[in-house]
Amino acid sequence: MSLGKLAERLLHLVPVLLGVSVIVFLMMALTPGDPVDIMIGDQNVTPEQEQAMREDLGLDLPVHRQFFVFLGNAVQGDFGTSFYHRRPVLDVIVERLPATIELSLVALIIALVTAIPLGVLAAIRRNSILDKMATVGSLLGVSLPGFWFGILLLMLFAVHLQLLPVSGRIGFDSEIEPITHFLLIDTLLRGRPDAFWDAFKHILLPAITLGLPMTAILMRVTRTSMLEVMRQDYIVFAEAKGLKRGRILFRHALKNALIPTVSVAAIETGSLLGGNMIVETVFGWPGLGRLVVESVFLRNYPLVQAAVLFYAVTYVLLNFIADILYTTLNPRVKL
Amino acid sequence: MVRLGRVLFATAAALGVSLSAVQASELRVGFTLDAMTLDPANHRNRETETIIRNMYDGLVTRDGDMKVVPEIAESYELVSPTVYDFRIRDGITFHDGSPLTAEDVRFTLERLTAEGAMGDGQTSPRKSLLGPVESIEVRDGNTVRITLSEPWPILPAMLPFQEIVSKAFVEKVGTEGLATQVNGAGPFKLVDWRKGDAIIMERFEGYYGGAPSIEPVGKACVERAIFKIIPESASRVAALLSGDVDIINELPPFSVEQVKNNPGTDVMTVNGTRSFFVAMNMEGELFSNPKVRQAAAHAIDKDLIIDRILGGNAARIEGILSPDAFAASTDLPVYEYDPEKARALLAEAGYPDGVEVTMDTVGAYKDIAEAVASLLTKGGFNTRVAVGEGAQMTQKWRTKGGPKSGDMYFTSWGNGSLDPFDIFTPTHRTNDRGNSAGYSNPEVDRLLDEAAVELDTEKRAALYRKAEQIVNAELPYLYLWVPQDIYGVSKRLKGWRPSADSRINLHDACVD
Repeated sequence: MSLGKLAERLLHLVPVLLGVSVIVFLMMALTPGDPVDIMIGDQNVTPEQEQAMREDLGLDLPVHRQFFVFLGNAVQGDFGTSFYHRRPVLDVIVERLPATIELSLVALIIALVTAIPLGVLAAIRRNSILDKMATVGSLLGVSLPGFWFGILLLMLFAVHLQLLPVSGRIGFDSEIEPITHFLLIDTLLRGRPDAFWDAFKHILLPAITLGLPMTAILMRVTRTSMLEVMRQDYIVFAEAKGLKRGRILFRHALKNALIPTVSVAAIETGSLLGGNMIVETVFGWPGLGRLVVESVFLRNYPLVQAAVLFYAVTYVLLNFIADILYTTLNPRVKL
Repeated sequence: MVRLGRVLFATAAALGVSLSAVQASELRVGFTLDAMTLDPANHRNRETETIIRNMYDGLVTRDGDMKVVPEIAESYELVSPTVYDFRIRDGITFHDGSPLTAEDVRFTLERLTAEGAMGDGQTSPRKSLLGPVESIEVRDGNTVRITLSEPWPILPAMLPFQEIVSKAFVEKVGTEGLATQVNGAGPFKLVDWRKGDAIIMERFEGYYGGAPSIEPVGKACVERAIFKIIPESASRVAALLSGDVDIINELPPFSVEQVKNNPGTDVMTVNGTRSFFVAMNMEGELFSNPKVRQAAAHAIDKDLIIDRILGGNAARIEGILSPDAFAASTDLPVYEYDPEKARALLAEAGYPDGVEVTMDTVGAYKDIAEAVASLLTKGGFNTRVAVGEGAQMTQKWRTKGGPKSGDMYFTSWGNGSLDPFDIFTPTHRTNDRGNSAGYSNPEVDRLLDEAAVELDTEKRAALYRKAEQIVNAELPYLYLWVPQDIYGVSKRLKGWRPSADSRINLHDACVD
């Protein structure tokens, strides 16, 4: 792809982000509920004090003025101050980001390494028991609510078998000075295999819960596309030539069959972000998803605004990556 | 399949081996929400308060019976209706070893109450919790004088919520630094704050011992104390059952049996400070009729709901006050459960065929509101429950004098100070901020206003009791119950009990 095309795609981000900001702002404004009321709760506050709190949070302006203030600051990289943390929202979000990215990546890896072999196996052993089990399994995988499945895993592995921890990112005896803020990497860089193992045990259940629906989808995609490729003339020709089956499968079929899998995986990575909100809440994972859920309930407008913008950017970029991957893997398609 | 089984087993065994035993004197609390900041003056959040309060002490605190007792203050006295003197205890040091002086106390209170005192023109969001505090000065070296702009008898009851900071430290690190660094005078020092995950604290060896009237006095019992943040209640219960934590807050009533039946865990309860009630819109035609309100009161079987739905974890109330609150009456008339009588009263009021009403509430209260509604329906009020979002309900029902729509509102009001000033006044005074019934009685207004400034405790209690008799007879609300806070605890936990003000003080807690 040429640089010009790249720039064009990046420019598309601008209207998307503007649209998202307007929508989020409108939704927050239309959602009943006032942050100051929530903050005051049942406590004794005079109307003057309440007004002062409102001014302090910038909520005394009419909504459209609030929006333009937000927009003006946002283009300068200032997303405002979190009502509750009373610090710049960007700082608060950045602190929580590594945990979320780490969890999403591990979930993605789990999904890829289970979905692709299963999908291929289901395709080449079509209508076998294994294929049927995989079909039922993927149906369950997409249908099971992450919230329920997560609790189930917790009860089994943490409470009954006591094999894995219930929540958190790492145990309290594994103090690690951060380098990259990805604990699985930092523990290794610091030469602490015990802490790595600890962090790994912590991430396992949330990553499986988060990755499950994606695994199911990718498996189905791989299976379908593998079946399709296997019917192609060049495969039939290769078989007729008497090539070894393994060679046909891995050299000729799989490479082509994986094209849709890869681009679906890139797009689905975006949905991992949505799943994060639930999984992080269930497993007490200190990431961005949980922060956003908390912030919505507390009507912490600036934080929700900035976080949704971040999600939007990520989505757009992932779609972009999906496109690039698709064209790279499939030279017949040009962007 | 056999081989797969072996692999799984081997993996399981490997995982099991590395399960480390919990350290001998480490106490972990599974807690609902992380602190928003560690600056005692820069938040407005109960969970943040609970966490911070283990590292910072206040001028005063509350004992097990919720009585306000001196902590950093040695004693305090009321000099005049608007002047309090707090004498500061000698020999208290902050975590960095520097002595705590009256000047630190003055600085703390100034930072909380003066406009722009947080730096950068910021004012503490906790300012309004200290009401009419006008000035703070140090006298004779170790006495701090607080002057109020008007009499405000609940000052001591509000001071346990404010923690004393070190002036020198705040000046060194600034408000920004204080958000993540702690130099308090409390029983625990901050070790690490893993944001969103945990707050790790260790015992402060130089602790002065805490309030002398609360045994035991001395250093904290455990070496390490940790607040582990687990927002989802099912996960919090799982953490307790697996032995990962020793205390959990907000144990859901439906998990009580499970925690009780588990050999290593138990349930502890304490009367909370939140009163539940149903507001009847007295601005509407239907509920402006006292007979209709009485009918509704007779239609509700509080004991049944407390037993069957709240698992017995609530105390019934006949007025707005918790049984533990200051001036709570014990002899208020009871509206017995009697659906026949309810229907008869409705008929007398001109509704022989009953009435259709809607009861608003929020999602969290839906189940219990449905139960109340079904009882009301039996009593002739054909009640539909409408669930709305919390803040939306606040706008509809807490109109501060603005016109109200709707029939009934199932809601609650918290009363952390356990003083009627904080709950009776807002819910019953004409047009006050929590008066969702639209109730207005000049006599009650007068009693509440007088009680607010009455300094003689006995007289003050008498005023509130009189007001409670009146509202019990006039029934702007169906007074229901005060739920208990339910905690799940490990049986290895000793010396800790839950506190009615929802604080979790770990100073006296030990683990076997």
